[in-house]
Amino acid sequence: MPTAGTETIGSAREGRWPGLKNWEPSLPVWLGAAAFLVCLMLLPLGSIFKASLWDEKGLTLDKYAEVFSNAAFLAAIRNTVVISFWVGMISVVIGGLFAWLVTRTDLPWKKTIRALVMASFVTPPFLGAFAWTLLAGPNAGLLNKLYRSITGREDALFNVFTMPGLILVMALYSYPYVFSMIANVCELISSDLEDAAEILGARKLRTAWTITLPLALPALVGGFIVAFLQSLSLFGTPAILGLPAGIHTITTQIWTFFQYPPRLDLAAAFSVPLLMATMLLIALQKKVLGRRGFSTVGGKGGQKRLVKLGWGRLPVLLAVLAILSLSVFLPYWILLKAALSKAWALPLDWDNFTLSNFSFALFQFSDTQAAILNTFKLGILTATAGTLVATLIAYITNRNLFPGARFLTFFALAPLVIPGVVLAVGLFIVYTQPPVVLYGTIWILFVAYLTKEMPVGYAQAESTFKSIHVELEEAGRIIGANRLMALKDITAPLARSGLIAAWCFIFIGVIRELSVSILLFAPNSKVVSVVIFDLKEEGQIGAISVMGILLLAVSFIIILGVRWLLDRDVVATGE
Amino acid sequence: MATVSLQRLSKKFAGAAAVEALDLEIGNGEFVALLGPSGCGKTTTLRLIAGFLQPDEGEIRIGDKVISSPSVLLPPERRSMSMIFQSYAVWPHMTVFQNVAYGLKIKKLPRQEIERKVVQVLRLVHLEPLKERYSAELSGGQQQRVALARALVVEPEILLMDEPLSNLDANLREEMRFEIRRLHEEFAITTVYVTHDQAEAMATADRIAVLNKGRLVQAGKPADIFDRPLTRFVAEFVGKANILTGELIGGGALRLTGGQWIQVAGDANAPAQGAAAVCLRPHHIRLTTDEAEAKKLAGAGYNLFSGVIQRLIYFGETADYAVDLAPHPFILRVVSPPAQLYQKGQRVFALAAPDHCVVVRDE
Repeated sequence: MPTAGTETIGSAREGRWPGLKNWEPSLPVWLGAAAFLVCLMLLPLGSIFKASLWDEKGLTLDKYAEVFSNAAFLAAIRNTVVISFWVGMISVVIGGLFAWLVTRTDLPWKKTIRALVMASFVTPPFLGAFAWTLLAGPNAGLLNKLYRSITGREDALFNVFTMPGLILVMALYSYPYVFSMIANVCELISSDLEDAAEILGARKLRTAWTITLPLALPALVGGFIVAFLQSLSLFGTPAILGLPAGIHTITTQIWTFFQYPPRLDLAAAFSVPLLMATMLLIALQKKVLGRRGFSTVGGKGGQKRLVKLGWGRLPVLLAVLAILSLSVFLPYWILLKAALSKAWALPLDWDNFTLSNFSFALFQFSDTQAAILNTFKLGILTATAGTLVATLIAYITNRNLFPGARFLTFFALAPLVIPGVVLAVGLFIVYTQPPVVLYGTIWILFVAYLTKEMPVGYAQAESTFKSIHVELEEAGRIIGANRLMALKDITAPLARSGLIAAWCFIFIGVIRELSVSILLFAPNSKVVSVVIFDLKEEGQIGAISVMGILLLAVSFIIILGVRWLLDRDVVATGE
Repeated sequence: MATVSLQRLSKKFAGAAAVEALDLEIGNGEFVALLGPSGCGKTTTLRLIAGFLQPDEGEIRIGDKVISSPSVLLPPERRSMSMIFQSYAVWPHMTVFQNVAYGLKIKKLPRQEIERKVVQVLRLVHLEPLKERYSAELSGGQQQRVALARALVVEPEILLMDEPLSNLDANLREEMRFEIRRLHEEFAITTVYVTHDQAEAMATADRIAVLNKGRLVQAGKPADIFDRPLTRFVAEFVGKANILTGELIGGGALRLTGGQWIQVAGDANAPAQGAAAVCLRPHHIRLTTDEAEAKKLAGAGYNLFSGVIQRLIYFGETADYAVDLAPHPFILRVVSPPAQLYQKGQRVFALAAPDHCVVVRDE
């Protein structure tokens, strides 16, 4: 039997335009949304290729030759690969272990651990990197001062401005991606499979090693690729920790092409390999995760019993908390301390305590005020427009409203393979020249965010519509509601919570965005992330910390709100 | 006049025909069941009638107005139809009352009238006390009734039902069959009912259309479908059947594979000569061990087989035998009243009236 909803609106058939009587009145809405999406995605990508291949003389490969013959540029590529590889490995180890511990063992405080991993996930990487400069800078870093005061030595224990430091800090904010992938898989692996091994006499660790691990292997490889991709496209952390040590990555190199005198052509030529790499990796990841053997995990999963850690429970818990303290406790503590101190490096006692950083950042300093205003304005605008477009597109693809509708999925998800910096290069080229000049206004950031957050919104909207049976809508249509009425009265109310969640996810994505913003902002359109980056140069530690805490607080409030909303929904529909 | 007429209706999905050149006339007030195995095109046909799908070829008319064709598609909301879905599709964000009232609200009826009609129809399906509940607070059977009330309250000219009972448990399903038939007799709405369950089709429908592989195989009254199947597929899908193959010689005589001759029912549809298959219902076969009685019946025109009980299953109401007709290459399934039980290995005579030996097309 064909699945429901596979039909197209008949009146859209080519060459079969019926009389006006049967005209589907909602069709322009759908076609408009589709055309908008396609333009949004194709313009920046097309312009990158064009800029990298064309100059006044016509078609040329000179830019590529220039980029790939320069030793400094090649070093940047090498650095990026090395960093991404190690970030991927560390993320898989930490994320994989955490996921196994939380889903399959009797480790205490699992909910708390999950929440803390989630907190690492929500923390903008550049903020974590900034916090780590305060913690482990070679001179003033608090951990190094502590080390010196305990041992009486003169040198530094950690120096975060090094390759290993950079890798570690990046991994601290990449492993949550791996964690969530592996945790999902572990929850699906039935204990029966593990029990079977134990009945045959395998010990617990051996079972974990020979049964659980291979079953989770595709997810581990997939997780490695995700973490690798994250670090490929990350700008903030390498810029904050790498640049002072003279370590360039592809993203920071592209950023330098934008400094005076700008070399857009080189930026474009340098972006293309990065784009290719991410596309390749995503394709690879799809292949790994889509393999058939993986489906043994996809079943309902029988009973899940937990592996008993025995005497190891406490030491394991302490180890987990130690790692979490690196990504959450220590950075948050130093940010809070810096925000509340007159001198951040001194102990926080009554003499050193102040609220002036807050009043300075929030009420006196016009740069930060404007940035906060811009950020929230852009967050609300983008989330609203993004949810609207994502909803329309997800509805089109889910209900297959016209021939070829399914291809829109590809466009909606395309930004996943476009690193932020690359996207910014493309948008910069498109919108600094007529017909539409947006550069210098906040609107170029709006377009950039709208593009970058489209996959998040689309994925959320799509899964929302998927959960609403098409028959619910058809039941309305057959008794007299036209498509728009059925959408308004039936589908929209049912999709409401899911779409609010989409709005929130986009909003959070926008307020923490750095890698696009850093290339596209203008003096009157700075956003919080950019100001944090700028203030770092000026050493305004207190103000940065206040802004960081503000970002974190808003993000957490919104996430808790979404959770509550979706939980309440699940209870209400009795599912 | 809500007659529905499907003419040469075809629909392809990704190149494969789901419905092919389907012709079917549904009279005003008639209850027609589309019966067939899954994948036979029955749900596609229903969705074509509803206007959720557009045909690739052929057309659908209500009265003499074309509502669907490759160039015309009257949207579902303007077809004066109602539909009951397999999933019930009760809207979870509305109460029972709101669910049922929605169709009337869209028609912009005055409030008091909506109220009156909704209460009336809810009473009809025994749901009035539950009218403020949400679907999550209803059982499957109650949701089913909400769907029914919601479909009836708009007073459709045509009612479509897509396997409406398949998600109910066995007892409730049986009860709802009679309920649906009762409502049909009360309102006489032209109804198209999709099911894969032959008992359901028999209990509810005036006429059954058997579909296979996207094509209409046979349409007729339940008794005709059962007693006079046109093809082997219909014979085996609707009820149990013994299928014996052989060659028609003419004059109603057929020589079975293996050599035995039997008399078959004279039927206008049957070919006079050539290879043929015969459908013989298990409950139309009489068993006996009494040779004299067997001879007497054979003399009266009955077809006589002789065989050995190969298997016996006792069901209480009936006994189900497999009778091996060796040396002929057939095993007859026989369902007989258990008044007299035969044992495994016992030699028996099996007798069948020629009128019960129906020639079918072997397809």
